[in-house]
Amino acid sequence: MTSRIKNIINGLLLGLLMLGATACEGLLEKQPLGQLTSSNFFQTEEHAVWATNAVYNILRDWEVHVFSYIGLTDIISDDSDKGSTPTDANFLLEIDNLTFTPSNIAFSGVWSGYYQGIYRANLAIQEIPNIEMDEDLRDRLLGECKFLRAYFYFKLVRWFGDIPLITAPLEPSEYQQSNTPVAEVYAQIEQDLMEAIGVLPLRSQYASSDLGRVTKGAAEGLLAKVYLTQEDFANAETYALSVINSGEYALLERYGDIFQPKGENSSGSLFEVQATALETGGAGSQYNEVQGVRGTPNLGWGFNRPSDDLIVSYEPGDPRREATVLYPGEVLPDGSARVDDNPNIVNERYNQKAWVPEHAGGNGNGPGNIRILRYADVLLMAAEALNENGKSADALPYLNRVRERARQGLSGILPDIMEIDQNALRELIWKERRIELAMEQQRWFDLKRQGRLSEKMKAVGKEFVDGRHELMPIPQREIDLSGGELQQNQGY
Amino acid sequence: MAISQKKNDTMTTNYSKRWQLHIFTTVVGMLAMSLGIAQNQVSGTITDLDGTPLVGVSVFYQSSTEGILSNGDGTYTIDLPARADSLIFSYLGYKKEERWISAANSAITLDVQLSPQALSTDEVVVVGYGVQRKSDLTGSISSVDAEEIQRIPTPNLGQALQGKVAGVQITPSSGAPGAGAIIRIRGVGTLNNASPLFVVDGMLTDNIDFLNLNDVSSVEVLKDASATAIYGSRGANGVIIISTNKGTAGPTQFSVNSYYGIQEITNFIDLTNAQEYAILSNELAMNDGRPEVFEDPLIFGEGTNWQDEIYQRAPIQNYQIAANGGNEKVNFNISADFFSQEGIIKGSKYDRATLRINNQYKLTKNIRLGHNLAFSYIANENAAGVVGNAYRSDPTVPVVDSLGNFGNTSVRASTANPVAQIEFNNNFGRALRSLGNVYLEMDFLKDFTFRSNLGLDGEAFQTKNFTPVFFVSSIQQNDTNVISVGAGYNGSLLWENTLTYSKEWEKHRLNVLGGVTAQSFRSENLGGSRRNVAEEDANFYFLSSGQLNGQTNFNSAFEWAMLSYLARVNYTFDNRYLFTASFRADGSSRFGVNNRYGYFPSFAAGWNIHEERFFSNVPFINRLKLRASWGQIGNDKIGAYAGIPQVDRGLGAVFGPGEILNIGASIINLSNPDIRWEETSQTDIGIELGAFEDKLLVEVDYYSRVTNDILVSVPIPDYVGSRSDPVINAARVLNRGWDVNLNWRHQIGDFVYGIGGVASTVYNEVLALGEGREEILGGGLGVGGLLGTRTVVGQPIGAFYGYQVAGVFQNEEELSTLPSVGIEQPGDLRFVDVNDDGEITPDDRTFLGSPIPNFVYGFNLRLGFKGLELTADFNGQSGNKLINAKQMARFGTPNFERVYLDRWNGEGSSNTEPRVTNGGHNYEVSDRFIYDGSFMRLRNLQLSYQLPAKASRAIRFSNIRLFINGTNLITWTNYPGYTPEISSGSVISVGIDNGQYPIAKVFTSGIQANF
Repeated sequence: MTSRIKNIINGLLLGLLMLGATACEGLLEKQPLGQLTSSNFFQTEEHAVWATNAVYNILRDWEVHVFSYIGLTDIISDDSDKGSTPTDANFLLEIDNLTFTPSNIAFSGVWSGYYQGIYRANLAIQEIPNIEMDEDLRDRLLGECKFLRAYFYFKLVRWFGDIPLITAPLEPSEYQQSNTPVAEVYAQIEQDLMEAIGVLPLRSQYASSDLGRVTKGAAEGLLAKVYLTQEDFANAETYALSVINSGEYALLERYGDIFQPKGENSSGSLFEVQATALETGGAGSQYNEVQGVRGTPNLGWGFNRPSDDLIVSYEPGDPRREATVLYPGEVLPDGSARVDDNPNIVNERYNQKAWVPEHAGGNGNGPGNIRILRYADVLLMAAEALNENGKSADALPYLNRVRERARQGLSGILPDIMEIDQNALRELIWKERRIELAMEQQRWFDLKRQGRLSEKMKAVGKEFVDGRHELMPIPQREIDLSGGELQQNQGY
Repeated sequence: MAISQKKNDTMTTNYSKRWQLHIFTTVVGMLAMSLGIAQNQVSGTITDLDGTPLVGVSVFYQSSTEGILSNGDGTYTIDLPARADSLIFSYLGYKKEERWISAANSAITLDVQLSPQALSTDEVVVVGYGVQRKSDLTGSISSVDAEEIQRIPTPNLGQALQGKVAGVQITPSSGAPGAGAIIRIRGVGTLNNASPLFVVDGMLTDNIDFLNLNDVSSVEVLKDASATAIYGSRGANGVIIISTNKGTAGPTQFSVNSYYGIQEITNFIDLTNAQEYAILSNELAMNDGRPEVFEDPLIFGEGTNWQDEIYQRAPIQNYQIAANGGNEKVNFNISADFFSQEGIIKGSKYDRATLRINNQYKLTKNIRLGHNLAFSYIANENAAGVVGNAYRSDPTVPVVDSLGNFGNTSVRASTANPVAQIEFNNNFGRALRSLGNVYLEMDFLKDFTFRSNLGLDGEAFQTKNFTPVFFVSSIQQNDTNVISVGAGYNGSLLWENTLTYSKEWEKHRLNVLGGVTAQSFRSENLGGSRRNVAEEDANFYFLSSGQLNGQTNFNSAFEWAMLSYLARVNYTFDNRYLFTASFRADGSSRFGVNNRYGYFPSFAAGWNIHEERFFSNVPFINRLKLRASWGQIGNDKIGAYAGIPQVDRGLGAVFGPGEILNIGASIINLSNPDIRWEETSQTDIGIELGAFEDKLLVEVDYYSRVTNDILVSVPIPDYVGSRSDPVINAARVLNRGWDVNLNWRHQIGDFVYGIGGVASTVYNEVLALGEGREEILGGGLGVGGLLGTRTVVGQPIGAFYGYQVAGVFQNEEELSTLPSVGIEQPGDLRFVDVNDDGEITPDDRTFLGSPIPNFVYGFNLRLGFKGLELTADFNGQSGNKLINAKQMARFGTPNFERVYLDRWNGEGSSNTEPRVTNGGHNYEVSDRFIYDGSFMRLRNLQLSYQLPAKASRAIRFSNIRLFINGTNLITWTNYPGYTPEISSGSVISVGIDNGQYPIAKVFTSGIQANF
């Protein structure tokens, strides 16, 4: 008996020695389980596609195209008011009224959302060239990432001005960044878009399963807008016309259809954020929910209310007003319900362009594609650029194509414009842009590049301060965390 | 008449039979005891200090395995020894007595009085990987009596330790049922997880939810490096060693322990009623340039008191039965306990059943086998997160409207209706855990002991969450019901092998320990969700009750492992000079290959001055010890794979006419592959004094801890693009201060009284920040997560940082003449122009105080007369600030704290509270929201009565004690929240009250009985 116990002890002692001698190295090697890590990612063609898709993924993010985004594009402008119940989301009220401070979360929201997108693009652009894979696919993926990076920077530079320009993932020693002048940011945007144009397929050249990826046309259209914003009208004209002459796009017959499910990825679409409502979620966005009818039917939170100023600016009988504004008492576009009056909402009306029919997964799982760049926008950019380049007569056909579609064959409304006085025509084109693209998050940036922010904001009673409100304040957190390198915009 | 236990050199295979035999012989022996007294024997009576005879006291010689038990009248008789020997009197709960008996030929009469164990001072103290005489200790170790902590009605040891140990700051992690505690030993030495390591009967664990307080026999808090360095990389935050009740040789003692009580919220937060809310809302609308919200605020009365609606009186109860006994071969302690607590928030609950079996078997004279096994089952229901919504909900809205629908609180207040939230919340957790160890000890070659300890900690857990279909408002609704189920396990295996050499010769006492230990841990999670569950009934809360269409599934796991080598030498010369040195080498899988091993040494010395000859004439003082230690320890609590960037695969993008979700994956969270160990160097100098025969005990320690390479998740600019903040080795932090422990106990006849106190000071300062960093910002406050704490060199960790309020702008003239941001209006806060440049800019933000208390204390009073005893425990802290962050977060127009009624609404109306607004300028981080966090609390008050021995014996009990108890009865504080004890996960974001689950006042009564 005792000897058996002694055997046990001897065994334990032996085990002790073994433990000390051999078991150790294996014991301490613990790799993440069921996880790809930096050491086994960016190895295959599939990884390159995944990493590119991950950049697209953030386009559906709350901080990129949802709440603060709508606040800093539509609500801040004269196109719309905050909406919803009077006190819901106070920070958007401050945006609407231009009474915000640098700590308003709308700024930190879009700032962090867009820079996360830039990081994903930077990482893919840095790593994909090292992967052994099909060269055409590799070039295309890099082109997609560069377009998206340009898209993110184009938004940021217009909101915030001199921002940190980051084109590769940062090392910890590089975390303290300073402001990059606007011109340098634009130079990077132009370079990215040029490179994208050089490698991206035309819309018709993509496989059907890739519908929704960035095309050469989208890159040219965006580049046209980048030039237009910088008042480089010659280049704006070139790239807008290149899109038009590509023959890849045509205006959808009915304006109202553009924003319905059947209008997604239509002939008149250059770029849309793709979303869909899966039962499991994960493929939708909240873009539709935050703007949806609040009350009965219960479609959302009711933010982004079309303003009085927008409504009165439509020409008499323009069918686009009906397609843009949803009133209480009106029947939903699919005829499924009538919008009840909600007594808690003042001046109740909604952005009909953000409406989506009933779908799986609840309101937060919105299936609506977010229309980023439309052919009508390109036509109007072409018209604007031609007019600025002294070719007013050449501008008219493009402008009138937009009006003709809007008219929907009705006589007596929206007559063709014959004006060829440059200044008068400029005003007409701007007015047309406002109406055609109303509630599509374009207005603030258009007014900004047109130099009309001060005039238009004051006209609707907002306390716009010249020299301050042209730019948004950089989030205070970023200035603090930059170790004093980053400078706040003027006036904040 | 004496129990004669035949030496068993051979063990029969049928052990249980032998065990029955032991019970039999024990019983026979007891019967035989009263038969008479023979010659050449020692005999006498054993009593307690009151003279009450003690029954069943073990009486045996040190060198023998034979023993007897005292009789029903406390008398005993035992044969004289063959040669001189120590006669030992041992009784559970009493201090062991030893008498030297020389071999004589005549009978000896020896009456013995046993004193309760609590007062003994030269007991053995549990230290890391062993035990030590308290007088030989060189480290700073606080022992807490089980009885002290068992007074508090809580299932959690951490909460019970509050105010009991000098140098330990304990904050309940919440008032929720079964909630744990946040424990900080000697300040905050890390920006990371700063909770201590728990060692339960030798098993290392981070979670002691399973532990039944009634099973605890002692708690030792290891504070200085001399004590903790043997735990190496896991010792930096202190170590709490918990020993559970072990069997004691003697007749089986049963004990019953139970209490029942009622809990209720200590206080409500002062919020405006419906009428006041309506008035303030209208004023706010006016300030925002909006039409007024309520036509006539005066039609409202009190409205809904949402706090009243969600809080309830709730029962708390505990029942335990234990059996303890054994003989010279087998000792056992077996217990069963059931604890049940309902939350003071409706819909929360915590039930726990625990079983424990602690046995030790003496296999041969030299070999012992033992086990300490605990099993627990916890079932809990979690309340919805309603504290914040009850605080914010609109008081003009009824709980249920006239149509029977839940009131819509989202219209103005943008909050969910908290009562509806409780109604639609179905969140359950269950966990089955077993934690225990089996050990084998063998003495060999006279002075050596080999010990092999195999520990196992296994937990199987499950969570369920069911959301029914409901509609309250557009922000509070669900249109497809969904069941989510998660299940998994945590498993940890520990194997420790230690060899001890222990030798006493002449004036020397030497103890050498060496060992190897390995621990591995694995956790795995599996679960999923299903929609459209057939019935909205708990019987259908299963995945298979829902539809496969739209299902989600997940499965993940992580592992870590450690391999360690340890050594320690204790040497005592002539009871006077004490030396300890220890060393541990730890290898951890959590760190990259380059930094995998850490080395942790410590050295200490002590001097028992009272043992010196020159000291023998010193009056009053009977004990005096000086000790000093230095050592290094580490902290590895950084998560299993902090150094490895991981790929997130949930980043899909939709493409194609069929709107297919394509896989998207990338690295979106930055991580730092160069993570190193966090290392703490700690120096401790202590003095221990006993005076007036130990009636007065004083222990004073000075400590200084410097933590290098503190690991912390540091906010980085958003433009870097990482979704989360990486962990880096960021800073060097100093904590220093004094720990004082004072105890006075005195007995005058039947009257006993005692006063005890612990106190500690903490001075916390950041000495350096790494990698050229100048500051670390933290603390997400208000709607936008404003950074309200700033950690810089020369300041405490996580100090509050913002504007100082100078007053309120009274009129346009002040606006144009006094420094301002430029966006203010009359009635807005006026900030102090700290840099005196004539305008208010972010540069005018300044430090607004530290969230770390600089003084933490606890004291207790104890009065006893015969069987009656009154005890009162107090604890408190001072010198810290809190920020009322819940007041800063106004998304819509939530309810107002009553302080808003003092707002500015016209020149001269207020110079402290600004005009009513929901955000913007007045909600920048400023001292408007900062409060003094000092408090003192009557933590516990207990009145108990111990029945006279005669009375209990008359009903066949050896001891009966009845008590009534009140916990958290009174709190003295200026903080206007539920409690000034605000818990926090991250040390750079401490003292931020975002809506803490309130603590409860608890009234209990109970009984403790032994038979």
